[in-house]
Amino acid sequence: MFYFFANVLETTLMYTIFVLSVYLLSGLTGFFSLGHGAFITIGAYTAGLATLRFGLPIWLAFILAIVMGLVGGLIIGVPTLKLRRDYFLLITFGFGEMVRALLLWTSQLTGGAMGMAGIPYAAELPLIAISVVVVLFIIANLKRSSFGRTCISIRDDELAAQAMGINVYAHKIKVFLLSAAIASYGGALLAFNMTFIEPNLFDWLESARLIVIIFVGGINSVTGALVTALFYYSFGELFRFANVWRDVILAVLVILVIIFRSQGLFGNFELSPKWIKSLFNRRKSPKRGA
Amino acid sequence: MESGVFVQQLVNGISLGGVYAVMAVGFGLVFNVLKFSNFSHGGVVTVSAYAGFFISSKLISSFPLALIATILVGAATGLLIERLVFRPVRLAKKPLTYLFVNSITVAMMVQQTFAAIWGSYYFPYPEFFKRTAFSIGQLVFSGTYLLMLAVSAVVLILLTLFLKKTKLGIAIRAASSDIYTPPLMGINTDVITGITFIIAGALAGITGFFLGMTYTVTPFIGSSMIKGIIAAIIGGMGSLTGGVIAGILLGIVESLLIAELGSSVTPIIIYLAIVILLLVRPQGIAGNLYTVKA
Repeated sequence: MFYFFANVLETTLMYTIFVLSVYLLSGLTGFFSLGHGAFITIGAYTAGLATLRFGLPIWLAFILAIVMGLVGGLIIGVPTLKLRRDYFLLITFGFGEMVRALLLWTSQLTGGAMGMAGIPYAAELPLIAISVVVVLFIIANLKRSSFGRTCISIRDDELAAQAMGINVYAHKIKVFLLSAAIASYGGALLAFNMTFIEPNLFDWLESARLIVIIFVGGINSVTGALVTALFYYSFGELFRFANVWRDVILAVLVILVIIFRSQGLFGNFELSPKWIKSLFNRRKSPKRGA
Repeated sequence: MESGVFVQQLVNGISLGGVYAVMAVGFGLVFNVLKFSNFSHGGVVTVSAYAGFFISSKLISSFPLALIATILVGAATGLLIERLVFRPVRLAKKPLTYLFVNSITVAMMVQQTFAAIWGSYYFPYPEFFKRTAFSIGQLVFSGTYLLMLAVSAVVLILLTLFLKKTKLGIAIRAASSDIYTPPLMGINTDVITGITFIIAGALAGITGFFLGMTYTVTPFIGSSMIKGIIAAIIGGMGSLTGGVIAGILLGIVESLLIAELGSSVTPIIIYLAIVILLLVRPQGIAGNLYTVKA
């Protein structure tokens, strides 16, 4: 029973990393990637290939996974990030399909549709938990930094940001690459945790789900993304029998949220030390008033 | 490649390309008016493919009537989605992002609903005609493909006439170039948007029916919308003519590549070609480059 819950927690936390990587891209620049699953797949396969086929150590596999994610990000980002957002969206959609086709084509190396089994089990709960905390730390701080605020201004009005002298293209590329790197790192974690990977692990639907989850929590709130991700994925792992219907429930929820509360359930709320302090102050204040 | 095989693949390619063109136009119509990538189009394709199967195998065995019934289902689904999901967002004048998020949500919902209900079943369409192949000299053509080609051509011509000649069509084109001015001229853009979705839904109905006829019906049939999207990109987003040309080109290139190199490499080559195309000529064939406007 303990192993079951540990397993649920591991899976949930790994998916949380994916959601956070998508949040970084969509929340900061307003770009949507329907091929983010491709970066996860790239990370997972790089890690698997590096350890299984080339016998490299685990730490090197992680680094290689990130490097490959960055390469993929450059291939997609350089031509499309200059264009209207829809091009980026549609090309990432195609990129996801391309990576899958590539994995099936190079089946001698990757095992094709049979997947790749026997990857060493190296990502245990502590490593995954630390990774989530680090990623969360990076994203939360980036969002509050000058760089993050610049990016949000690009998201809200690209033309105005450009007029203020911001190099829009450079900012978008940087955020996209960081997001791709986090996603492929998460993919490597996934490979080392599940020890079996296959090309259909992340289709476009999975990428779409990652985006949609962010909108339930609210595009302005990292806390929202975190809470929704934790809730959705742990729920899904605990109630496996309702696995398919949970997407339908999620979809209905998203549409309702977007129509009636488009800022998301959490709005602009962030769980920060400041907020916790203000909570205690608020409790004291009536006494002071009396 | 032998010349006989080449001609056959060419004809198959043009027929498949016709379906891609219909898809690209359905996607492009909504993109033109509302300026967002409408992924729910794939959802309508899925619904229509299932509807087409049930109509043709249980209710109506004649091909034209079954096709028309499926088109009606597609149009109704398109309108239903617009009214339930997009209209509230549209009327509240929220950013386009929310329309897009709703559209992928609908696509996800449709796919997962069908996967939950009929996920493990495959539905093959019935044979509509006794004669499945036609031969001219030594060349053999599949009846389904010729039919697809004919219907796509007729539909695209009718649509062009509708958009160029009728008042409604002109209103749709006016709303495509600028959604804010037509209301000042007494055009109800709310109604026009609804009609656009009906037409797009009807086109999705045709696509769904033909995809169902060519392949088997699965919940994932809507993801083949990627071909229509690719055609729309190559054609130049927002240009319907470009989308049609690109759709047919894509169909031809795909059939020839599959015949020559096999079906596993083909998607890789096509996607790489598109990335390169975007680097070199992002405005596509027609030369419409959509930029972000304030």
